[in-house]
Amino acid sequence: MNRYSLSIALFAALLVLPAARAGDATGAMHEGAYMPGAAVAATRVQSVSYEVPDVKLLREDGHLVSLPQEMNDGRAVVLNFIFTSCGSTCPLMSQVFAAFQRKLGADAAGVHLMSISIDPEEDTPARLLEYAHQFGAAPGWQHYTGTLEASLTAQRAFDIYRGDKMSHAPATLMRAAPGQPWVRIDGLATPDDLLQQYKRLVAAK
Amino acid sequence: MSRRRLTLRAAALTLLVACCALRAAEGASEGERIYREGLQASGEPLRAERGTGLSLTGAAAACINCHRRSGLGMKEGRTSIPPVAGSYLYHPRAGEVDDLDLPFVEGMRADRDPYTDATLAQAIRTGIGADGKPLGYLMPHYALGDEDMAALIAYLRHLSPGKVPGVTEQLLHFATVVTPDADPVTRAGVLDVLEQFFADKNHYRRGDAPRLRSSRRMMFKAFRTWQLHVWELHGAPETWEAQLRDYQGKQPVFAVISGVGGRDWSPVHRFCEAQSLPCLFPNVDLPVAAEGQFDNLYLSKGVLLEAGLVAHDVAAQKSAGGTARIVQVFRTDDVGREAARELATRLAPEGVTSSEMGVVPGTGSAALKKALRKVRPGDALMLWLRAGDLAMLGAPPKGVTMIYVSGRMGGLEASPLPGAWRALTRMAYPFDLPDARRVRVDFPMGWFRIRDIPVVAQQAQVDTWMACGIVSDALNHMADTFVRDYLVERIEEMLEHRLVTGYYPRLALAPNQRFASKGGYIVRFAAEHGTRIVAQGEWITPP
Repeated sequence: MNRYSLSIALFAALLVLPAARAGDATGAMHEGAYMPGAAVAATRVQSVSYEVPDVKLLREDGHLVSLPQEMNDGRAVVLNFIFTSCGSTCPLMSQVFAAFQRKLGADAAGVHLMSISIDPEEDTPARLLEYAHQFGAAPGWQHYTGTLEASLTAQRAFDIYRGDKMSHAPATLMRAAPGQPWVRIDGLATPDDLLQQYKRLVAAK
Repeated sequence: MSRRRLTLRAAALTLLVACCALRAAEGASEGERIYREGLQASGEPLRAERGTGLSLTGAAAACINCHRRSGLGMKEGRTSIPPVAGSYLYHPRAGEVDDLDLPFVEGMRADRDPYTDATLAQAIRTGIGADGKPLGYLMPHYALGDEDMAALIAYLRHLSPGKVPGVTEQLLHFATVVTPDADPVTRAGVLDVLEQFFADKNHYRRGDAPRLRSSRRMMFKAFRTWQLHVWELHGAPETWEAQLRDYQGKQPVFAVISGVGGRDWSPVHRFCEAQSLPCLFPNVDLPVAAEGQFDNLYLSKGVLLEAGLVAHDVAAQKSAGGTARIVQVFRTDDVGREAARELATRLAPEGVTSSEMGVVPGTGSAALKKALRKVRPGDALMLWLRAGDLAMLGAPPKGVTMIYVSGRMGGLEASPLPGAWRALTRMAYPFDLPDARRVRVDFPMGWFRIRDIPVVAQQAQVDTWMACGIVSDALNHMADTFVRDYLVERIEEMLEHRLVTGYYPRLALAPNQRFASKGGYIVRFAAEHGTRIVAQGEWITPP
């Protein structure tokens, strides 16, 4: 491989990306730049309605809290599902959350980042707190665990459950305010993807 | 960089790789530290970046996180992590995967140019693969110097699956380990199950069935005879590791399956870690619960889990004005000593002190009675005692607030705990409740009945049968990719979606998780006599 063809490949990737991402994310589903094996994240964005289930979850600080209450405190919600023993995709998703939170800057106070464990029997609040610390989570980002049933209920409500934790696929969900539809980003989103979607969502509010 | 300089650099790298390959044999090589721990030869943490500017350092950047210890990759959801063991990187281009003369693993590719040391280094540094296309988004770009790169590449070459001890064209050797202090009844029951399982497994392999060559993607039976070796240990625990090395030297095995332990299992555990020998689900009350272990998998933490369950209950009682002190009684030659220590450690932050009473082995009811005199009004009591000891207890101590017994040690719901004790007693019960598990336990019980296997130690026998089934399923998934680390990784991945055919409500593992069932109940007896038990609250998973 020489330097010339490398630049071609990179240039092509740069061209494809913004074009594919420029479409309006709200409303109809659209395909992001889907290139198998590509050096950029392949994502799919769609707008979906979910009913937030009335379950109690155990927050990283040890408090038993109601999921609807955690989501309806006036802030925008950005949600993902992770587990701390996960080797590949979860650390990346958590890194992306951390970078997204930093990029929000002054807006961060109005955004509640939530990560719910899909391995609640292993992920105790203490473990989650350590995990959050490891990724440099700022105060607006909290991790949740609870009983297996509670986690499964939350996973099913947001169409995350894929049979077991090893089969999980990365997804990020975002909502500007209670009662509004969720934006669902399937695939490994970048911090800029999240920022772009967030700004679009807030502007449409 | 000019083409000429690139060629020179590639030649230098090849030389370095050759040197590193020679050194790789000596202990934990530099390449292995990069791969597993994310540490460069200088001791500095490994540094990497992903395309979008996210950086990774140290253990978080280590190759092992995704490509696994075996180097054979994995599948997580729809994300497929390709194998990086050398033979999968350097194989010549082939028409399709079936044409490769390599053991099948998910994510292997046939249709790309083979890597060279130079293109591999380029892939690791810039994320551009051998075919000039960018690698997956998950793959970071590593800042590695030439020497570290050469060490890493030498290590990847060394990871290539080769001849594995304990595996021949015809035979797959397994061992089961029995310690001299194992309960003789449990030992007989467990060995019955193991021998019958192996006999059944081999029953279908009459004559020389042709090897299935086509369609490697399909699960197929690896037509090898399973051979069981019973490794009986003798004498003091300090001598067991040498005995095990001796057994493994005489007839190497691919994995250790099940087994029966007594007071101390740690020599067996250490042997398996040292030899990188999978040791799968032995019947032990006291497993080794150290961090960073790989080869030893257990169904649960045994009495250490029970200590967690009791600690949870004592703490819950405390908020309702419970106890400030717990007296713990155990036999000095049994696992209760370690369990008591675990409970004391867990209760200390709750402000509950522990008083531990070791009772000399072989003594009768008088010795137990003497230990119980330690209980003062307002104390709680924890009995880490076997069924025989529970049966000869006199009257419960006066003024005791709460009595706890170990379910595993005391015989679960069949415990002979005298009637006068039962109203006050709660039992740590690290299994699913009898009614809830009945259907799941019917699988092995039916299997035992048809084969005339006497049920003498039901839970251990059911666990043994399930362990055999798990290993058998994992091996079927592995086809003929006989790599020890890969066996452990496959079990980690498949366990959660396999039907549980035993005492536990749910089994699951993951990287760095070594105990498959993570919780239990606190139960009490429904009556002064009989085996009916009632759960006090929900399933508990102690931290």
